Amino acid sequence: MGMRRVAVIGAGMTRFVRRAKETPKELSFEATRMALDSCEMTRDDIDCVVHGTAPDAFDGVHMKAEYLCDGSGGVGKPYTRNYVGGGTGVFAPIQGWYHIASGMFDTCLVVCEEKMSSCQPHPQGAFLTIFDHTTERALGPNLLWIFALEMNRYMQTHGITLEEIAAVSVQNKGNALDHPCAQLGKKTTVKEVLESEVLAWPVHREMVSPTSDGAVALVLASEEVARRATPKPVWIDGVGWTLDTAYWCTRDLYYPRYVETAARMAYDMAGITEPDRQIDIAEPYDPFAYKMLHHMEGLMLCGKGQAPKLVADGVTARHGRLPCCPSGGLLGVGNPIAAAGLMKIAELFWQLRGEAGKRQVPGTPRKGVAQAWGDLMQVGTVVVMGA
Amino acid sequence: MGLIQKSSSNQELRHYRGNIPVGNLYTAGIAGDRFFVDLRDKGRLLGTRCPSCERTFVPARHFCEECFTRLEEYVPVPSSGTVHSLTAAHVDLDGKPLDPPHVLAFITFEGCAGGLVHRLGGAPGQSFRIGDRVEMVLKDRKKRTGGINDIEHFRPAKGSRR
Repeated sequence: MGMRRVAVIGAGMTRFVRRAKETPKELSFEATRMALDSCEMTRDDIDCVVHGTAPDAFDGVHMKAEYLCDGSGGVGKPYTRNYVGGGTGVFAPIQGWYHIASGMFDTCLVVCEEKMSSCQPHPQGAFLTIFDHTTERALGPNLLWIFALEMNRYMQTHGITLEEIAAVSVQNKGNALDHPCAQLGKKTTVKEVLESEVLAWPVHREMVSPTSDGAVALVLASEEVARRATPKPVWIDGVGWTLDTAYWCTRDLYYPRYVETAARMAYDMAGITEPDRQIDIAEPYDPFAYKMLHHMEGLMLCGKGQAPKLVADGVTARHGRLPCCPSGGLLGVGNPIAAAGLMKIAELFWQLRGEAGKRQVPGTPRKGVAQAWGDLMQVGTVVVMGA
Repeated sequence: MGLIQKSSSNQELRHYRGNIPVGNLYTAGIAGDRFFVDLRDKGRLLGTRCPSCERTFVPARHFCEECFTRLEEYVPVPSSGTVHSLTAAHVDLDGKPLDPPHVLAFITFEGCAGGLVHRLGGAPGQSFRIGDRVEMVLKDRKKRTGGINDIEHFRPAKGSRR
């Protein structure tokens, strides 16, 4: 394809918290500073900057990217913002990738930030207007309702039980106990999850990720720069992204075909023909417990309706054959929207370098896949990484 | 409605009303908190010094946007400065006349990077020009809340002459 190889050579992140004292700029700065320090680079070494951040309404700053520019190291550099809803965090490194793969730049800082605590009384308010203003909004839907419809359809199609879905919350919140930046790590049980409040049947409170403040940053480099900078570059082997129809009633909600399309694009580029065998570690997007399962299927890590069994059998556990969300995911680490997606890429970076500390998966993982999803349940963004 | 009819009022068409129901609550941040607490309690302007660029940013910032150093040296800076640019607003957002006009300036402080945008005030009819020396006028201590409006305005500096 005439594209150059691109590696991730540094990563940094802030803690994910309910309400940060730091301004959005300051959060961006802390993550960016850490990412630069991790590969012993300075801002002078950076050719361009990509910022990913979700709606302006969260931070309460219109044209938020321009506001965040100096905290992301973007002053005086070629700087762009991208925004594809919840999929942003995995799209931002894709944009960074094509900046370098194209031959235009040798280094790129990729920064994602979200400060959802600014949004009052709750960031849900910003989501109310994503629905069609003539056919849907008059009914007063909120995000939980549509996820509940999707989850119910998924359960119905495959005969999946609530217990099987609650097991995802147990796994991910447990994994997050080992993440120093996590907001909601805890040891919990299926019983506890099912005893939590029903928000919109079948969605229970403990199956939903929290709202969070936080930032994550990566340093991307061309092969030549990467090999000079570190003995352990982590390559971006494949990227894919798609957008499905916004008429969400024309999709059968049981299966995320937009994830499959994006995954096929990324796998083709990465030479992955049997994802269930060739992928060692996965970070599917898990803002809701059922979503990790749904997305594992879209990523073709198992057959349709098979994901709950993999969780039940311990295959997706940190020490299992195919660890899924070893970071703790959005359910455990937290969900500052764009930053949460980039956290998944950072997790693969640390895991594939063997630097994930207490979260390190055993063996020597060679290939990882991370994915995010968003907009009106219609965007899929996928990155395949290799040690 | 026929093709050649014209409606100039969108209220006559079928329409739906809506709004995005969010408000916002902001934090001043690590450096902003220090700046505003100091302004409220001590009545002074605080900057942060970048040890590698040797610049002092006012208001205080948490990081240097150029060399990306975390700034931890907080220093008070003089509360009188220079009018770098100014404007007089003669109408408000609704187009109503402002009498007297609101005078806003970008004020710089000697030896500092950055500056403040704030109101200019003084005796009625006072006029200002770029380059004028001005000094900070604070609200009474009891009325200060830890915000930019703890500064009433900037007025001509004592002893300054054009």
